[in-house]
Amino acid sequence: MSREAEAVVLGAGPSGLAVGGALRMKGVSFEVLERADAPGHTWRTHYDRLHLHTVKQHSSLPGLPWPAHVPMYPSRDEVVAYLEAYARHHRIEARLGETITRVRRDGDRWAVEHTSGTTRARHVVVATGYNRVPHIPTWPGREGFAGEVIHSGAYRNGRAFKGRRALVVGAGNSGAEIALDLWESGARTALCVRGPLHVVPRDVFGIPAQVNSLRVMSRLPPRVADRLSLLMLDRVVGDLSPWGIRRPAIGPVSQVLVNKQIPLIDVGTVALIKQGHIRVVPGIARFTEAGVALDDGSALDLDLVVLATGYRPALDAFLDDAPRYTDARGYPTHFGADAPAPGLYFVGYRNPLTGALHDIAREATAIAAHIARSA
Amino acid sequence: MSELDHWHPVLLSRELSDKPVAVTVCGQRLVVFRTRHGVAALDDACPHRGMPLHRGHVEDDRVVCPYHGWRWGADGRGESPGNPRAKPCAAHYDCVERLGAVWVKRPTSEAPFPFVDVGGHTLVGTLRARAKAPLEIVLDNFIEVEHTPEVHMFLGYTRGTMADVETQTTVTDDSVRVWNHGPQRPLPSLVRRMFAIPANAYFIDDWTTRFSPVHAVYEQYFLDGPHGPRAGEALRIAVFFTPVTARETDLFVLAYTNATRWERPLAAALRLPLVRAMVRLEVMRDCALLAHMADAPISLRNRALGRFDQSLVASRKLLERIYRKRPDGHLPVVE
Repeated sequence: MSREAEAVVLGAGPSGLAVGGALRMKGVSFEVLERADAPGHTWRTHYDRLHLHTVKQHSSLPGLPWPAHVPMYPSRDEVVAYLEAYARHHRIEARLGETITRVRRDGDRWAVEHTSGTTRARHVVVATGYNRVPHIPTWPGREGFAGEVIHSGAYRNGRAFKGRRALVVGAGNSGAEIALDLWESGARTALCVRGPLHVVPRDVFGIPAQVNSLRVMSRLPPRVADRLSLLMLDRVVGDLSPWGIRRPAIGPVSQVLVNKQIPLIDVGTVALIKQGHIRVVPGIARFTEAGVALDDGSALDLDLVVLATGYRPALDAFLDDAPRYTDARGYPTHFGADAPAPGLYFVGYRNPLTGALHDIAREATAIAAHIARSA
Repeated sequence: MSELDHWHPVLLSRELSDKPVAVTVCGQRLVVFRTRHGVAALDDACPHRGMPLHRGHVEDDRVVCPYHGWRWGADGRGESPGNPRAKPCAAHYDCVERLGAVWVKRPTSEAPFPFVDVGGHTLVGTLRARAKAPLEIVLDNFIEVEHTPEVHMFLGYTRGTMADVETQTTVTDDSVRVWNHGPQRPLPSLVRRMFAIPANAYFIDDWTTRFSPVHAVYEQYFLDGPHGPRAGEALRIAVFFTPVTARETDLFVLAYTNATRWERPLAAALRLPLVRAMVRLEVMRDCALLAHMADAPISLRNRALGRFDQSLVASRKLLERIYRKRPDGHLPVVE
């Protein structure tokens, strides 16, 4: 089946919906294609206790603020409810169960090949998500390990892991919170931290890190912001090297700008590490039958390994010439309205200190304005 | 098997300084003290000659007995200056500081730490209050709304409208949920403005009680009219019930709000202490009343129970099975 549209949006997560909402407000007709059976699919499958790490006051999508009664950090279920309300509010009816197989140039338009056919449009917005494909590193001996290995994307809660010996690999936000969840569930928990890492409490003196970064840090020269952040972190977090967490040489603000690496937003894990309840261990050298051998030569017996090793956008799986638009890890290098191919846009592949949803809302608005001008 | 297999809050964080503190939990006397980076709990009797360790002091992460200077670490391992080859051992507990309180459980237990979903909310305050009545009697008071017209001042219903209050009890394998819906009692206009409560407000008090350890989490909010949209501020309050002895129960109240501190910081700085004071006042009124119930029989058998008491019966059963780990049919009785 072949269809035509002014714009086609790939994905009905927060990014795709935001673009849909912004296009609706501009009066541009569009199609949204979603591979899952409901919008906001990734959010629906996140672990149970997840809350947005940014405040709702700075995390709304174009044209619809959060309901007043939702607390400042919405829970997973509240995010899903908001995304559903957002789709209803802007009358975004995504075509569900549509896996994108190929996006190619077709004359002066784009042809999007998907499960039920091909949709052609002058504008294609790639919003397939930061979290499209789990990134699973390989280690020697992994097949011989007698315990269970899951990716963080498949982790819901720790109920099944009471009394088990668990290792969480990767100290990003999910890894750290899953370690906390496993400890609360009665698992003996270790967290594998490979490289140096900045740790920022989600709130400092009652002020959310995001608000601090929007109102203060992003307005200062990076070097000044780094100095100021480090002064604050010295006071509220302190030196974590006795527990195996080293600070990078680069400051937390520059790290985001230069390395595109956000600090760990701590929601309570660090307190458990300091109290000795969650152990920090170095990187994994290889798996053994009983557990893992670590980079420092020690061994750890385990029943469960949770790989919080992140995701990749994996755009090359469907997008022609993807390397032209992406960096070595596969993330787009172009945002908003300036991709080097006419009518091609990327949204939702950045994770700035000011918050992913905040950024998505801005990008979506810019993209919709650009499309409306050239429509 | 003991109740101490569950995590219990025993002190608020602010009640524990650098000196050891004696606490009694489920009839056991413990000493709780701070180490450089954590907290620790031991039996409060020196294994040597029985001196209460809380009379001692903390040195190098160990509590030092004031009698003969024997010293004990967080893991219970001890040493004696006069008996350098001795390897004595004291009973120790798992101990963690979380959610503004210090919690203990027996180290052989793998009980999960209670999950309270307050990750999105703003802390209003924490408080500890002692109710001079047994655990079951205290819990009963906290899981029905029929007492609110008589005992409470702010949150709850009036005597005149109690008959119109809807109540629904939902029981699962490990929880009892109670949902109440009725017209909010008249409030002083200052309080109404403080919470942005509409004139014709309905008050929803919706809580879930769980039993490892015994605690209830309340969601308290307002509707604009009987079936209108949500309006005003909402509170989420967790109450943990820690038996001190068979006759006394400590309440650990962790109160949260869906309002923020940083949007209107000045207003919040004025308002949050008022909310905290209000929660404290209401809890104190419960405690004052419960002191008169200290000698009431615990059993619910032969009680004349009303429609608001369904949750009491269901909770007793789960408390017996999950918290006390006693077989069904054991006292305190429910029929």
